[in-house]
Amino acid sequence: MEDVLSNINELAVSQFGAEYAETRAQRLHKTMLTLKEGRVEAAKQGIENGVALRVLVKGAWGFASVGSLNAETLESAVCDACKMAKTASSRLKTPIKIAETKTVEDHVQIKPKKNPSAIFIEDKINTALSLNKATLSHDKRVKSCTIDYLDLTGTSYFANSEGTRIEQDKLYVWSRITATASSQGVFTFSREEIGSTAGYEVFDEEPPEVIGEKVAKLAIEQLDAKPPKGGRSPVVLGPNVVGVFVHEAFGHLAEADLALSGGVLMNNLGKKIGSDVVTFYDDGTIPGAFGSFKYDDEGVPTQKTLLTKDGVVTGLLHNRETAEKFDAEPTGNARAENFRVEPIIRMRNTFMAPRDNSLEELVEDVRSGYYFKSFRGGQASLDGTFQVGIQEAYEIVNGEIGDPVRNASISGNTLETLLKVDAVGKDFKLWPGRCGKGQMAFICDGGPHIRVKEVIVGGSA
Amino acid sequence: MEVLEKDQMLHLAENAVKIALKKGAAEAEAYAYEGQATNVGIERGQVTKSNRVIDRGVGVRVAVDKAVGFAYTNIIASQNTIEDTILKALNAAKASKADQNWNGFPEKKPYTNTDVFDPKILELHSEDLVDLASNMLDAAVSVNKRVFPIEGGAGAAYIANAITNSNGVAAFENGTIVECSLAAVAKEKTTVTPVCFEFNAERAYDVDPVWVGKEAARLAVSALKTKRIKTETTKLVLTQFALQELLHYTLINAVKADNVQRNQSPFKDKVGEKVASENVTIFDNGLFPAGLRTWKFDGEGVPNQKTALIEKGVLRGFLYDNYTAKKEGLESTGNATRAGYLSTPSIGTTNFHITPRNKTPDQLMSEVDDGLIIYYLQGAHSSNPVSGEFSVVATPAWKIRKGEIKHATRGVMLAGNIFEVLKNVSVVANNERKMGQLVAPWLLVENVRVIGK
Repeated sequence: MEDVLSNINELAVSQFGAEYAETRAQRLHKTMLTLKEGRVEAAKQGIENGVALRVLVKGAWGFASVGSLNAETLESAVCDACKMAKTASSRLKTPIKIAETKTVEDHVQIKPKKNPSAIFIEDKINTALSLNKATLSHDKRVKSCTIDYLDLTGTSYFANSEGTRIEQDKLYVWSRITATASSQGVFTFSREEIGSTAGYEVFDEEPPEVIGEKVAKLAIEQLDAKPPKGGRSPVVLGPNVVGVFVHEAFGHLAEADLALSGGVLMNNLGKKIGSDVVTFYDDGTIPGAFGSFKYDDEGVPTQKTLLTKDGVVTGLLHNRETAEKFDAEPTGNARAENFRVEPIIRMRNTFMAPRDNSLEELVEDVRSGYYFKSFRGGQASLDGTFQVGIQEAYEIVNGEIGDPVRNASISGNTLETLLKVDAVGKDFKLWPGRCGKGQMAFICDGGPHIRVKEVIVGGSA
Repeated sequence: MEVLEKDQMLHLAENAVKIALKKGAAEAEAYAYEGQATNVGIERGQVTKSNRVIDRGVGVRVAVDKAVGFAYTNIIASQNTIEDTILKALNAAKASKADQNWNGFPEKKPYTNTDVFDPKILELHSEDLVDLASNMLDAAVSVNKRVFPIEGGAGAAYIANAITNSNGVAAFENGTIVECSLAAVAKEKTTVTPVCFEFNAERAYDVDPVWVGKEAARLAVSALKTKRIKTETTKLVLTQFALQELLHYTLINAVKADNVQRNQSPFKDKVGEKVASENVTIFDNGLFPAGLRTWKFDGEGVPNQKTALIEKGVLRGFLYDNYTAKKEGLESTGNATRAGYLSTPSIGTTNFHITPRNKTPDQLMSEVDDGLIIYYLQGAHSSNPVSGEFSVVATPAWKIRKGEIKHATRGVMLAGNIFEVLKNVSVVANNERKMGQLVAPWLLVENVRVIGK
């Protein structure tokens, strides 16, 4: 396969005027399930393959994707991509260049304990059914349960005109469990996700019965919860909320393409933007984590990237194009969802480093505030405005965690908020998730418990 | 652009159904898809790239003893892979559990013609799209030097769908979409505004890139001057951008029959009751002229139609696919939507049409003595999808005094319940536009809680 790809790259450079060419071929197998209240809506399986070709001609990118590994089809597609790049270059003021990177030849094989492709679909359905049963049987007020399951296995081949040739096994296992509960006109909703690049053994770590009960409890607890008071408030955030906060409110701003587009980190490189206890990493090397891989989709090795150390911005997430612009090293963050799309800068496993406080210590100094334990969605803009919806929340009254609160959300400005982080816990947890930036990427985020002196709490009361 | 012919697409689907039946399916359905798109991309003030994606595939759904299985492949040139795919669908069905509510695939019905294919779009080359994108960029920058277009582009797409099933459905339709979009910020010293976005998408080759560029730029510049506002209960003018965000995760879920049947909708048992202000009338119209979601038939080959959801504030009905309709002894409303060939259909809107009334946007604005106009929202996806409670950030909002926009304000949160918002719609304007699944004019809403910064 790599020989075919190398020939296509060679053709782009020698015949069609490309400065650089890369081809990425994939063979993928998927299994998907959707269960609603234990009814298997459809058990689904897929076989797909295709090639993405990307070329740089006169400083502009051309990209073509075809659902075929046929050499003739690829030759015509690469010719097309080069022509398109040339057309796109016609009004270019600043030609694109890419940073140098070492060439690599590697074959990355994974050895899962339980390869999802070797597990019968019946067994996957049974796992989902036990998740469903545990969720629905917990309490009569749980009204519905939806289970989504996906596994993806296959092989990716990468070759570029500089001589890099990589074959990489791919493996993802993911599931999402959502439940709704209702009682006396109150509707609540809860969600939990599981995700791994290790193998199907992820379901052995936390049995379906435990996960199902957790989801059910979350929905039930909110039934008696009260709405939060809108306004400014001190908050203690759990690792799950810290994760989505780090990802949304900081991580996206650390993506070099967004920094270049006017994001607030652009003017803050090397500057102090957070309190002394704020240290962030984006790490693609954590074994089995949902955002881990060995090489990115530009053939650059992944790494553990320090983004902020003790409150000072130390780095950004780069692909080869932005690394060249910043005179930095590529960080291995170029990812493409599949062969239908171009690689763009994406996070991997993004987290805040733990420090030394216990949860009790974080809570005891809060006279009146909230403990936000798990999230429901989050989003941020380039100017640093963020919003994180909260799924599980409690009041803090006189230094103690009190009654549950529902439908809360927090917002603020990233730079203002990071300066207000005044204590960081010693615990640590990573959570799998999926991030949308035009394409879907599998990621993790997390951290310890933290305390923030003040954020805006959105609430209807 | 070379595309598969109608006969080739239908043959692909018919062949799959035939094989599935031969290999043991009680019933079978095949969906063949072709999508071809050419795009030109803008990054940070210039056209930097062009891409072309060709995606073809087939998805096969089979039923065996009332259990359903599905498989897809994009390797359509290989008869072996297609047979393998069908075996995978059959295996999936056999591994699955019987569903007593499964009442078969849809029957054959006549279709209404639509006009969603423009051969001119098929002939667009990257050169044409570079021109389109460049005109849009030039227009944006001409508005004001402080404008910085960060991303956007122009694209032309061709989509063809063929569906056949063992009940005799054999349908084909192709259509086109052309679009251009621009996201821009305005910069002044160290101030950068939130991203302001505009776009224009059409089924026929008739887009206005200059308007898109100018409008994105105008909004960005107007976001430069900001002031804080106080926490209060106030009037909101909701533009289509805001409505699209707020409704997608709440109201639209509430009118899907599967959510109603599964006790996940506050509209359960409320047909005939007043659920919104009498100013609100909403249809789902799969045949809306030149709608972005207009097609002859849905993802199961059921004819698209116009379905009343809310008329003068009164709840009239829900959106059904074949399964949920048959479960209640009803007919599908043609709302089985597909995301290409990669998955099974699920209930979705076609063109979710909030019927316009007669006031111009200026007349609507003149009724606002004090309030906010909302374009872009952040965090709507964290709304409670069942209860409709939301708590979102406007990025930014603009303050209205005595009918005029005074200044922008950042970081304002809006909190409430979408079903209360619907009851508080006091004015519906006449300026409807298409935005994805939504076709709607501006709405004026009373009494929304706004948390100032």
